Amino acid sequence: MTALVVRAARRTTMFVAALALVVVVWESYRAVGPQDGGTIAGVRILPRTSEYAMPHVWDMFSRFGRPEVRGSDRTVFESVLAGAWYSFRLSAAGFVLGGVVGVGLAVLMARFKTVQRGVLPYLVVSQTVPLIALAPLVVSWGGKLEVGPFVWPRWLSASVLGAFLAFFPIAVGTLRGLAAASGSSVELMQSYAASWTKTLFKLRFPTAVPYMVPAFRLGASASVIGVVVAEISTGLKGGIGRLIIEYAREATGDPAKVYTAIFGAAALGLTMAGVVVAVDVFVMRNRPKESIS
Amino acid sequence: MTAVSIRNVSKVFNQGKPNQVEALRDVSLEVKRGEFVSLIGPSGCGKSTLLRLIANLLEASSGDVVVNDKSAAQARLDQDYGMAFQQAGLFEWRTVQKNIELPLELKGWDKPDRAARAKEMLQLVQLPEFADHYPWQLSGGMQQRIAIARALAAHPPLLLMDEPFGALDEMTREYMQGELLRICAATGSTVVFVTHSIPEAVYLSNRVVVMSPRPGRITKTVDVSLGADRNEDTRNRTTFFEAITAVREGLRGMHAAHVGLGNDDR
Amino acid sequence: MNRARSFFARALPAAVFGVLFLGFWEWAVRFFALKPYFLTAPSAIWQQFTGNFSLVRDAATVSGANALVGLVAGTVLGIAMSFVLSRFGFLNQLITPLAVALNAVPIFVLVAVLNNMYSITSEIPRRIMVALVVYFIVLVNVARGLTQVSQTHVELMRSYAASDVAILRKVRIPNALPFLFVSLKIAAPAAVITAFVSEYFGGSQNGLGSRISSNIANSKNAAAWAYVLAACLLGLLFYIFSVVLESLNRKGEAR
Repeated sequence: MTALVVRAARRTTMFVAALALVVVVWESYRAVGPQDGGTIAGVRILPRTSEYAMPHVWDMFSRFGRPEVRGSDRTVFESVLAGAWYSFRLSAAGFVLGGVVGVGLAVLMARFKTVQRGVLPYLVVSQTVPLIALAPLVVSWGGKLEVGPFVWPRWLSASVLGAFLAFFPIAVGTLRGLAAASGSSVELMQSYAASWTKTLFKLRFPTAVPYMVPAFRLGASASVIGVVVAEISTGLKGGIGRLIIEYAREATGDPAKVYTAIFGAAALGLTMAGVVVAVDVFVMRNRPKESIS
Repeated sequence: MTAVSIRNVSKVFNQGKPNQVEALRDVSLEVKRGEFVSLIGPSGCGKSTLLRLIANLLEASSGDVVVNDKSAAQARLDQDYGMAFQQAGLFEWRTVQKNIELPLELKGWDKPDRAARAKEMLQLVQLPEFADHYPWQLSGGMQQRIAIARALAAHPPLLLMDEPFGALDEMTREYMQGELLRICAATGSTVVFVTHSIPEAVYLSNRVVVMSPRPGRITKTVDVSLGADRNEDTRNRTTFFEAITAVREGLRGMHAAHVGLGNDDR
Repeated sequence: MNRARSFFARALPAAVFGVLFLGFWEWAVRFFALKPYFLTAPSAIWQQFTGNFSLVRDAATVSGANALVGLVAGTVLGIAMSFVLSRFGFLNQLITPLAVALNAVPIFVLVAVLNNMYSITSEIPRRIMVALVVYFIVLVNVARGLTQVSQTHVELMRSYAASDVAILRKVRIPNALPFLFVSLKIAAPAAVITAFVSEYFGGSQNGLGSRISSNIANSKNAAAWAYVLAACLLGLLFYIFSVVLESLNRKGEAR
């Protein structure tokens, strides 16, 4: 137990040190770089170092404590937290939806070889294709789509997009895992005259868990990306994406504010990942400590 | 009383395709209740295939397989046998006790009965204190003992084993052989045992069946007259070495014929 | 002959599924008289795609160029940095947790600040963003390839009194090459995706991403879908390119 704690503590110190390094690089460049940007070999590649373009790191942090807009009694911290929390809920919903559909499809593909042959190539290809291009389309359904009394709320588009992006890696990873049971274990279950469903729950799913873990991690970050992009491409109110766009617009007068929103988005991603990792650790607690890459 | 009756069984894989293989040709074998029979032979002689035909994990291309006076398929449905493989094949996400309970769960036993039987089996293989451990915490030999406990959990009359000690080192192997004999004496099981090791086959069995490949068939049967009471001293007895020699000659004779040394042993 | 037959047998269900899917889509739009804002028929999309082809192609070129420049820059920097990491193990311990954490974070939001560092018409912010995303992917994988070499190989080389540089050239780099190409298979589509998503943050509006959202905003859904199709094709192109690179590398290896 202590070995685990020591390792975790070491990793955290390293992480903080890495962040510190980034801050040092940022401030050093800011101190020596050209105010209006510069060129290297004719390409205008050096960023500007003015107060507007590159605020001091400590300004970014102090900005959290001050009011969002002049005269408002809501601090930036509260706004960013609210936005991040909103997006987190959307991402979580998308992740769960994508997970359910992904696992369901994987089971279907494991059961019926023809379904697998028909669908799997598209699933694999879809991971290389920017499905995110569909974001504005999905979001545009909001408010316009009506099925009986149900009107499609705009936020659902963001979650659906998150689910859509999450579902592919989850389906592919789960299928890999379901197929990973050893030949002799399958023979063992056959020798018990066990049905396919029994074999699924008693053998294939437990065997699949180490494969599902990295797949779900990918799915979680995909869901966050889907939700944030949905928010950004259509200005969905309430989320962190919209906040980033708004604050970026106000950057001329208030350069540090946009960074606070970016930190919020980072916190969102890390929290989502943290939740999934916590579940992973719990689910794998009794397993031998080897990893599937 | 016949536990297993194999009559004129043949098995062909990939029939009609270019990679067709005649794994078994016209094989017949009778195993009496309580007997310990080993199948030995080089790779490709069909011994594992024959075992799987008895287990109804494969279907014979022709001939009959009768297990416990039923068809092999029915015997499997009725759970009349337990099986052990070279890889212990314990489920790493289940405790040792839960692993042993697996066949009982599938048979629909309820919790207290399962737990009681699992504990009984753990006593039999002499590992009662490991009930709540996980397989990866146990050594290879211990895992195999759990696998045997699992195979016998439902008290099946027949035990089928496919080189279960193949992955163990020599010392553990000899120890496990002694353990297996003790357990089988206690349960009175019939055993069909596939192995690569001549001393192992002789030490364990009443009869050693020598098989040869291309096509897979039985070439010789060696009766081992070592008696029922076997122990460490048995390995030093003359009858032990004589039986080993008989088996080895059975294997070598076929090998020589293959290599073309013209040994007219057969 | 057999291999060709088995390939078709395996590809058939996928092809059938694809055709059925498109067919059903087309039929559903017509039968349910679906409005374009919900779902556009494949035939209408194709019409828009071929009709506006020059516009679509220009937009694709802009986005594609951003993705390509970023991909190349990120790969080169990633490889360079991975050599540094393999040399100074301590740095490896520093950078890897950071890279792992960044994996979970939607770092493309940094485009919002990158846009402020450059002029409003510059494509540089997008290219930097793509380079950043690619850099981390390539870095983590190639560094792993350079450091996770077989202990036996290293011991062998040391028994020949080989220098560190020689070990690098003869053991580490060949070991790392497959890792590089695997990382490219991930990085190439990621580059395209990042290139689009970066366009949603304002700045120059010439790429596919901005065209898609502006067409939606103007309720020209069929046109938007045509740009989406172009985006998918672009992504596929980049992926195929990375797969080809990988197979060229494999030519010398035993199969």
